[in-house]
Amino acid sequence: MDHIRNFSIIAHIDHGKSTLADRFIQFCGGLEMREMSEQVLDSMDIEKERGITIKAQTAALQYKARDGKVYNLNLIDTPGHVDFSYEVSRSLSACEGALLVVDASQGVEAQTVANCYTAIELGVEVRPVLNKIDLPAAEPERVAQEIEDIIGIEAADAVRASAKSGIGIEDILEEVISKIPPPKGDVNAPLKALIVDSWFDNYVGVVMLVRVVDGEVRPKEKLQFMATKAQHLCEQVGVFTPKSVQRDVLRAGEVGFIIAGIKELASAKVGDTITTVKNPAAEALPGFKDVKSQVFAGLYPVESHDYESLRDSLTKLKLNDAALAFEPEVSQALGFGFRCGFLGLLHLEIVQERLEREFDMDLITTAPTVVYELVLKDGTVTHIENPSKLPEQTKFEEIREPIITATILVPQDYVGAVMTLCNQKRGAQRNMQYMGRQVMLTYDMPMAEVVMDFFDKLKSVSRGYASLDYEFKEFQAADLVKLDVLVNGDKVDALSLIVHRSTSVYRGRELVSKMRELIPRQMYDVAVQAAIGGTIIARENVKAMRKDVLAKCYGGDITRKKKLLEKQKAGKKRMKQVGNVEIPQEAFLAILQVSDK
Amino acid sequence: MTTISLPTTRSNWGLTALPPLALYIHFPWCVKKCPYCDFNSHALKFGGNGDDGRLDATLESQYVDALIADLESCLPLVWGRPVTSIFMGGGTPSLFSAESMDRLLAAIRARVKLLPDAEITLEANPGTFEADKFAGFADAGINRLSIGIQSFDDAKLKALGRIHDRDAAHRAIEIAHRHFDNFNLDLMYALPQQTLAEALQDIDTAIAAGSTHVSAYHLTLEPNTLFHRYPPAVPDDDLAADMQDAIEARLAAAGFEHYETSAFAQPKRQARHNLNYWRFGDYLGIGAGAHAKISFPDRVIRQMRYKQPADYLAKMHEGGAVQTEDAITLEQLPFEFMLNALRLTDGFALNLFTERTGLPLTKVIHEIDRACAEGLLERDLEHVKPTEQGRRFLNTLLERFLPD
Repeated sequence: MDHIRNFSIIAHIDHGKSTLADRFIQFCGGLEMREMSEQVLDSMDIEKERGITIKAQTAALQYKARDGKVYNLNLIDTPGHVDFSYEVSRSLSACEGALLVVDASQGVEAQTVANCYTAIELGVEVRPVLNKIDLPAAEPERVAQEIEDIIGIEAADAVRASAKSGIGIEDILEEVISKIPPPKGDVNAPLKALIVDSWFDNYVGVVMLVRVVDGEVRPKEKLQFMATKAQHLCEQVGVFTPKSVQRDVLRAGEVGFIIAGIKELASAKVGDTITTVKNPAAEALPGFKDVKSQVFAGLYPVESHDYESLRDSLTKLKLNDAALAFEPEVSQALGFGFRCGFLGLLHLEIVQERLEREFDMDLITTAPTVVYELVLKDGTVTHIENPSKLPEQTKFEEIREPIITATILVPQDYVGAVMTLCNQKRGAQRNMQYMGRQVMLTYDMPMAEVVMDFFDKLKSVSRGYASLDYEFKEFQAADLVKLDVLVNGDKVDALSLIVHRSTSVYRGRELVSKMRELIPRQMYDVAVQAAIGGTIIARENVKAMRKDVLAKCYGGDITRKKKLLEKQKAGKKRMKQVGNVEIPQEAFLAILQVSDK
Repeated sequence: MTTISLPTTRSNWGLTALPPLALYIHFPWCVKKCPYCDFNSHALKFGGNGDDGRLDATLESQYVDALIADLESCLPLVWGRPVTSIFMGGGTPSLFSAESMDRLLAAIRARVKLLPDAEITLEANPGTFEADKFAGFADAGINRLSIGIQSFDDAKLKALGRIHDRDAAHRAIEIAHRHFDNFNLDLMYALPQQTLAEALQDIDTAIAAGSTHVSAYHLTLEPNTLFHRYPPAVPDDDLAADMQDAIEARLAAAGFEHYETSAFAQPKRQARHNLNYWRFGDYLGIGAGAHAKISFPDRVIRQMRYKQPADYLAKMHEGGAVQTEDAITLEQLPFEFMLNALRLTDGFALNLFTERTGLPLTKVIHEIDRACAEGLLERDLEHVKPTEQGRRFLNTLLERFLPD
């Protein structure tokens, strides 16, 4: 066990995390050169394009150190977005150490700070690495100082490296061996293995990425899942190099995979502890949370006959995405579709994009919403996941909105701007603490305000330096109203929103004016109105187009005319016909473009 | 290489009658390429031929030879069918001499049966050099001129990159009057910086000039043109629509019938050649880049010839300049028919659809009735035509007939 090191890499986008991981794999011969592609650990197209890691990945590497011994290094690549902060904390808790990779020319960025603090809280040893030192603009001394100031860890002797040019790779690996402690754990104790991540493979079913904390696990053993209480027979164990390689046993301290003939991701939840039926552990590893959907939105096929294939696509996506929830719903305006639950807005966007790209679906997504708690007149409590389902004000006693506690870390210079933003979002300050040059702000805020665009806004007012972490606190009574949108006099249920009364009129006005911009002119006038209760609070007109005709058409080249009309027709296919009005996809999400007062 | 189109595979499909046949002849050169033009036209090369705005006589003669050879190569496709009209378009056909036109028309008459009352139109540029040839063109047998005036406003003409001016336009019209009792003026509206009053001024001038036909086109910024890449400031959609309304009213008051999207005619002066296109008739197309549509009992084909004049001449020399030839599929036929026929204010007789496409009316009657219910079309048992709304939103209407 002394020859094992489990570590992850914490880095801001573009600071070279994936390139560094590639170098480690190359240096240790995990893949042949011909198998190397850029950023091998990011396997989804969306991950590569957006430069974010959504699923955790690992690579077990054999490193022959300068002291002549061979070490087993397990590199665990972690996701990096606030929507996935739970996954990050699970990945980090599977490690004893983490490399904090900082671009030597750009310095510390916010995203790294939050993950760094998570790591430090979990007792993980964080070692700084200054990357890209071969750039002319590199200032390793200044950046080292910054790391000490902002994060508060020793950085003067941080390894100087360049993942791109291959400088200092071996030094980093030596640092991992000498500074990161080997895993502790008792091979003879009952099995305790942490599920770091799990995904569905078409051939073998669910694959679980685990960190064995105590004991050992072998094929043919009956496994007990401590949170879900499920039992499954272990079929295979092994490690990723990052190719999967079968082993006879995984022992305490090791990171690898377990395949146990599981058909549903729901029974292999991230953060759960696996033990054996024969010799069960007394208690589970700490930190397990049942991940719940935070944000809900309706997904509807543009063409109603695509409903079944949307269901199939969602079912397939869910195989690999335990956090995605969906159930059928019917909208008067949009027909049959699904109400889907997501971890956050990014998760929603990813699901939407994957449905469009991988499954070739044309979709209408309704404005995302959080869950509201409703106390009816008879005292019963129900939940509202769809704003259009909110009954009239007289039918219920009280409506409660979810409140979260947000922890924001921000350099002193931006505290004012961040506080202003939090106040705009109806936040209530709970705490403010100076930590070196950083300030930690704690706010209670309505989740509805946070899930929409708060993270982006926060980044922009703090020039990207602020970091955010939040957790659900409670449901709290609030003065909320339903904002309805009427198109040519007919209420479009899919456009209803729940908003705070104080901002309702402003939002209603902004929303219809945004929609006027997004709905193209058509053959007839289109009136867009916003209403609260029965009262119209705003109205905009999309004036009818006057004509749509090709000026010239002779016998000549009709193929071009035909292409033009085909293109125009295809454009309309991406719109949803509501009554006799064609509404484009973006208009259903217009509320996301409404700025704050 | 020429690709040969095969007969339509559906064995029970066929045309019971062949439509009238027209002849289109393309002349691919212009003194200068206009920035809005997306037709197959090529500026004369300076230094070589035409540096004084004239076409090299040898090239001209070679091209006429090629046209005659081209027509001969088409004859097997249209044995015995009379030609009902000829249209000489471009480019700028009036760059060619009257003698060349005479030689060409004589050669055509010798090879196909040209109906005695056939309309023979020539597109002409209102430049001084061209206008002086109008008499000769008339002597050659050309009986209709289509003059590319575009505007009578010097500033607008300049913006459009035209090489003539207002005075030249007036002079050309005056000369045209002397030799032709039937001529069209091409005008454009929604020009860069144009006001409603300016647009109407152009129309009034055209009416006063005594033309028998006016084509008023909304300036369109077509792909592959200079204007598309560097768009000028043109009137917005609402102003352009106002212009169209006003232009239509003004021409109606002057006795012009608005018979097609952009075409207006004095009684009995409709462009017969163009009507044939819009009624989904057949046409041979000879010359560089010319398109043809020819019906047979078992198929309907489209042909396109090589576009570059040099390529066309070289290919003709080798024996044939058809670059592509394809049969129109049965799925496409209804749309192609509608694309043309619904441009006409009078629409079409329902039986014309079956006659021209060989398809039963059931193929389209559902879409037609849907459009009637929405107020885009109106029909009785024999005839269907677009409503005012349908004419304005012709694209929306036509999309319905596109195959999925």
